[in-house]
Amino acid sequence: MALELQPPDGRKRVKVYELRNNDWFDRGTGFCTGQVLDEIPQIFVESEDEPNRVLLETKILKDGYQKQQETLIVWTEHNGTDMALSFQEAEGCAVIWEFVNSVQQQLPGLAAPDDALSDDLESYQSIVLPAPELGNLPDIEQMVRAASMTQPGRDALSKFIIRDEYINKLVPLVTMAEDLESLVDLHRLCNIMKSLILLNDNTIIETVVADQIILGVVGALEYDPEFPALKANHRQYLADQSRYKEVVPIRDAMIRMKIRNTWRLQYLKDVVLARILDDPTFSVLNSLIFFNQMEIVNHIQSNGPFLRELFSVFDPRNADAKRKDDAVQFLHQCAAIAKNLQAPSRAQLFGNFISHGLFAVIAFAVKHPNPAMRTTGIDILVALLDHDPVMMRGYMLKAVNEKKTPLTDTLIDLLHAETDLGVKNQLADAIKILLDPQIPLQDPLGRAGPDYFKVRSSNLLSDAFVQQHFDESSKRIFQPLKQLADRESLNDLTFQEVTLYAHLVDILTFFVRQHLFRTRNSIQSENLAPRVTQLLAAPQKHLKLVALKFFRTLISLQDTFYQALMTHNNTFGMILDIVLETMPRDNLLNSACLELFEFIKRENIKPFIVHVVEKYRDKLEQITYVDTFQSLTMRFEQLQGYSAEAEADSALFSQEEGSTPRRMPLNGQRWQGVKGLDVDEERYFETADDDDEDEWIQEDRSSLSVGTPNGSTPLMLKPLVDYPDDDDDEDAMDTNKTDSLANPAEGDPLNLPDVEAEASSEADATPPSPAQTPPVPERLAEKRRRDEEDEDELGKLAAGPKRRSSTSSNSSAGILNRKKNLSIGSDKGTAALGGNASAAPKRIAINLGPAKSSVSEDDKSCTEVSNDGNEKENRDDSQGNEDG
Amino acid sequence: MSDLDRAIEQLRACRLIPESQVRELCYKARELLIEEGNVVSVDAPVTICGDIHGQFHDLMELFRVGGDVPDTNYLFMGDFVDRGFYSLESFLLLLCLKVRYPDRMTLIRGNHESRQITTVYGFYDECIRKYGSANVWRYCCEVFDYLALGAIVLGASSELEPTSSSANDTTQSTMPIDDSELETEVLNSRGEVTMSTYRQRQRSSSDASTDSRNISPPRDISAAPGQTGAPYKSGAPGTGAGGDSNGSAATSRTGAVLCVHGGLSPLIDSVDKIRLIDRKQEVPHEGAMCDLLWSDPDEIEGWGLSPRGAGFLFGGDIVKRFNHLNGLSLVARAHQLVMEGYKEMFDGGIVTVWSAPNYCYRCGNVAAILELGEDASNGGIVARSNGEYGRSNGVMGADSLNTVVSPGRRYRVFEAAAQDTRGMPAKKPVADYFL
Repeated sequence: MALELQPPDGRKRVKVYELRNNDWFDRGTGFCTGQVLDEIPQIFVESEDEPNRVLLETKILKDGYQKQQETLIVWTEHNGTDMALSFQEAEGCAVIWEFVNSVQQQLPGLAAPDDALSDDLESYQSIVLPAPELGNLPDIEQMVRAASMTQPGRDALSKFIIRDEYINKLVPLVTMAEDLESLVDLHRLCNIMKSLILLNDNTIIETVVADQIILGVVGALEYDPEFPALKANHRQYLADQSRYKEVVPIRDAMIRMKIRNTWRLQYLKDVVLARILDDPTFSVLNSLIFFNQMEIVNHIQSNGPFLRELFSVFDPRNADAKRKDDAVQFLHQCAAIAKNLQAPSRAQLFGNFISHGLFAVIAFAVKHPNPAMRTTGIDILVALLDHDPVMMRGYMLKAVNEKKTPLTDTLIDLLHAETDLGVKNQLADAIKILLDPQIPLQDPLGRAGPDYFKVRSSNLLSDAFVQQHFDESSKRIFQPLKQLADRESLNDLTFQEVTLYAHLVDILTFFVRQHLFRTRNSIQSENLAPRVTQLLAAPQKHLKLVALKFFRTLISLQDTFYQALMTHNNTFGMILDIVLETMPRDNLLNSACLELFEFIKRENIKPFIVHVVEKYRDKLEQITYVDTFQSLTMRFEQLQGYSAEAEADSALFSQEEGSTPRRMPLNGQRWQGVKGLDVDEERYFETADDDDEDEWIQEDRSSLSVGTPNGSTPLMLKPLVDYPDDDDDEDAMDTNKTDSLANPAEGDPLNLPDVEAEASSEADATPPSPAQTPPVPERLAEKRRRDEEDEDELGKLAAGPKRRSSTSSNSSAGILNRKKNLSIGSDKGTAALGGNASAAPKRIAINLGPAKSSVSEDDKSCTEVSNDGNEKENRDDSQGNEDG
Repeated sequence: MSDLDRAIEQLRACRLIPESQVRELCYKARELLIEEGNVVSVDAPVTICGDIHGQFHDLMELFRVGGDVPDTNYLFMGDFVDRGFYSLESFLLLLCLKVRYPDRMTLIRGNHESRQITTVYGFYDECIRKYGSANVWRYCCEVFDYLALGAIVLGASSELEPTSSSANDTTQSTMPIDDSELETEVLNSRGEVTMSTYRQRQRSSSDASTDSRNISPPRDISAAPGQTGAPYKSGAPGTGAGGDSNGSAATSRTGAVLCVHGGLSPLIDSVDKIRLIDRKQEVPHEGAMCDLLWSDPDEIEGWGLSPRGAGFLFGGDIVKRFNHLNGLSLVARAHQLVMEGYKEMFDGGIVTVWSAPNYCYRCGNVAAILELGEDASNGGIVARSNGEYGRSNGVMGADSLNTVVSPGRRYRVFEAAAQDTRGMPAKKPVADYFL
């Protein structure tokens, strides 16, 4: 093999470490070079003190190298020894790392698929354990532990364990030791078993849960030496056959076995190993469970006779109530599992269920006398809604079109009547999604199911039809709210009523937030706003709070129609009354009111400022314990005087963090839960790439120095840079989105009544001109940030429904994440030392990614230097940056 | 025995209460919490605790070491749930105690008291597993939305009463000099002193004015409150002896202590700003409320990007300025695992308190709680002003010529509960399965 390699020039100062007994032994300091000797690429380190002494001479292997942080290269030698080079300079490390990489690229056979099997076996020590007897358990434990330390050792051990069916041989010893009451041996067996499972080998774990072995394995694990005084009773649990419920017999023996094994895997994951699982093993377990479940579900949904039998359980002629309940629970479990599947299989499963009559089952369950069954029924419904709200709305509208009673009507009636508060809660959430006034234009997740979803074409129903249905449903759902009008006092509200009103106002708030226009009809025709105002006077504080939230949402929409609603009724008077009532106290309600007025002040919403000050001046003057209201009055006076200052102020404020009004999500998709969060918090929130983050922080810092929320620093009052045209437009959208929202003419049939045109034109007079936008770099940053913000806003919108969305829908991705996450101690603490804000510590987490991916990704465990070492690192890691 | 007491008994035994009772409890808690300000005022003496994370048996160990409720006045700084296997038992017990002894138990919100986070880190699954549906999770999440965002401890003493029993030989301490007062003390779970530090007694205002902390801030600090017209007041000192120092040690002022789960926010320059947040919502992804629950102190200057993706990193200068402007002597927070259970940073301007020993049953750390004593000189008569008009209380404010002395701090360090008291921590397996 002719290597065309350019060995790096220059000598890099480096420390050489070797892992001995779990400690990094310092072999000395020297100078590192990469060389090609006799066509064999090598890394050399010559001692610094005695130039002729070679500290390290190693042939570069095909894989197994890792770069950690900026200055560390770690790998495992042929003989299984773990080595590390710690460079003085990051630059030196990079040079050697590059050399290693280029060598690896030219080494033949690197990508060979049978790589793992045809490994130079002779170069790894192969491991043979003695046939297990109680007498040699100490030796076995020792050998297993030693082999587990290094990756080659682990590989070799795994191969031996599988080839020799070693676990089968170990299992009989458990009962033997129990008979002899030899706790020492049982503890050893437990340790051995743990180590074998933590080898993270798929095959081993699959073996472990097999019928003839599982009880022996968990039997050993019952004797945890960490809890010498205790014994778990895993066997008792797992041996209990009655835990498995079979509504309709599954005849395929293979599938039955998978079901059993999956249950055991879950038990291993959740109970037996819960404390000791490391991330890699956790992901191996998860992926095994995932693939089993996929097979099970595929089997079920393609098994026509089975499904027919299953759904025939619900035949009204069938009197077996218990069996019906079980069948509902069976379906519920299917739905729960389906959440973890990939979208197409999930679509197929649900499609099959629906065609067999799932809706009838849901209808059966939600009317069940037992609240627990109602909960289960709605859970299934919610799973469907999470999966594909568009499809569900399609079915609903189709029913309306065919003059059948749509599901929504049923649910609304149930919501009004339901007394179980948990169920009521769920019903409210389900209704929100079903009636979500915002119809997604397309299916952004590409949940293109098979042909069952012809029904989707009904989405093409005219907007007028959708509007009509929405209006009718709204009328139905808000009926109880409307009836409040006849009520003289709210002092005699029952608990159930309070709950119902809270839900209704919450739903109304959601509708208003989701769609600027759709809800107007019903609010107008049903005269709902005065009813919500009425609730501001309810004695129940949390009900007041819900009503307040409704108005706070209206305000944030900055829409003239809603502004008119708020200024017509005595709404602000009522809100001010709450402030006055709670005034000496500092409580949640009081803070919520203040926040509302602070928002008006910050956003400089003139119609409100004028209305509030003109109409309620005497009330405002009574409130002096915070200066919010004085400044409102001042704003008002400025407005009257129309000073340029106020203008500038508003421009400033509209750019501030957190002061941007909520925006309508543009693509109209309901929030689907948090994507790809699986492993750990840091990862969870890491969405942006490096660049963005830098921008981000820059932006944030600048806004810090520029002014605090209530501050107006004269610096910023100056108009800033002019900007190229095309961008200007976009930016105008950004900073002036209030206007575009308030602009009634924009693409909606339901124009504002003429009366409000005046108000809206007044609002139009306010907008800051493009000339007031911040300077260039910040603007770019801001735009990016806003893009991200969109997601967050979506999040907030959906946080409205307060419902758990299918966050686990991407567990496969989660597995990948997890795999990546078995990082080698990302030492954020160290990194942070170097970092003031510009060197964001975050990137440490990121640069592990590439370093790792250069290592063979297929080999699940090759990245681990050694189990213990790794764990230690992890520990350090968590020490440095543990999240709470 | 009332239902509530019975529920407390049952939960203390690590047995769950029925769903209907949980619901009722949550409604009662809601009524109570809605009356609390975003920043609750708490009077010393108080014991401040950090993350619990569902480690029920260790929570019981905490009560054993710190004293039982209601004998001890507790302040928990959030993160009651997730990670550990007994989030429900832990949180419900704390909530029961809150409802039963509202004045002896303060709960503030952590970043894990959130719908999004709990669906990922275990609490949601635990609810499903233990109650069969998400209902209890919903009730709890509703309560989370009502939890206060922070607390201000008033009236803490600057000096500790020395603990008598000390583990003699192992005690390491700065030399107790004449005319010095005990500032910090670290005790192990057996109540033995393992470390103590002393400081020079503050003697007179003239002495105090030479203190380096005493430099008044430059007027042009961007957040200078006078300029902004923010609701910043030079209100009455929140604590201790009033008036000017008159030469006696007792009159050195102990500044108030702000307790918050995460840390500071660039959007919050005064404690009163926190009161302007409408907190009844899911923890947002950004903004002041998010920062209070997510930020971390770090050895940097100014503000930095947080590796967590939410909140910020903030440096010693930020803490110093914030404390100074608000008349605080200390910010107590949780949110980060510290192996020793507590960690003071920035010359004692901020402390991290972590109360989950052997975190996740594997981290090998010890836990700590922080006790702040009562300032005897005011007779302990400062009424708990929870809810009452307390704005600017605890904000020492403009009178920057007076030194703010940090409170005496007693850390009780403890380890994970002994095995025989807790059994093997494990999750509850599913009862039945179909698939």
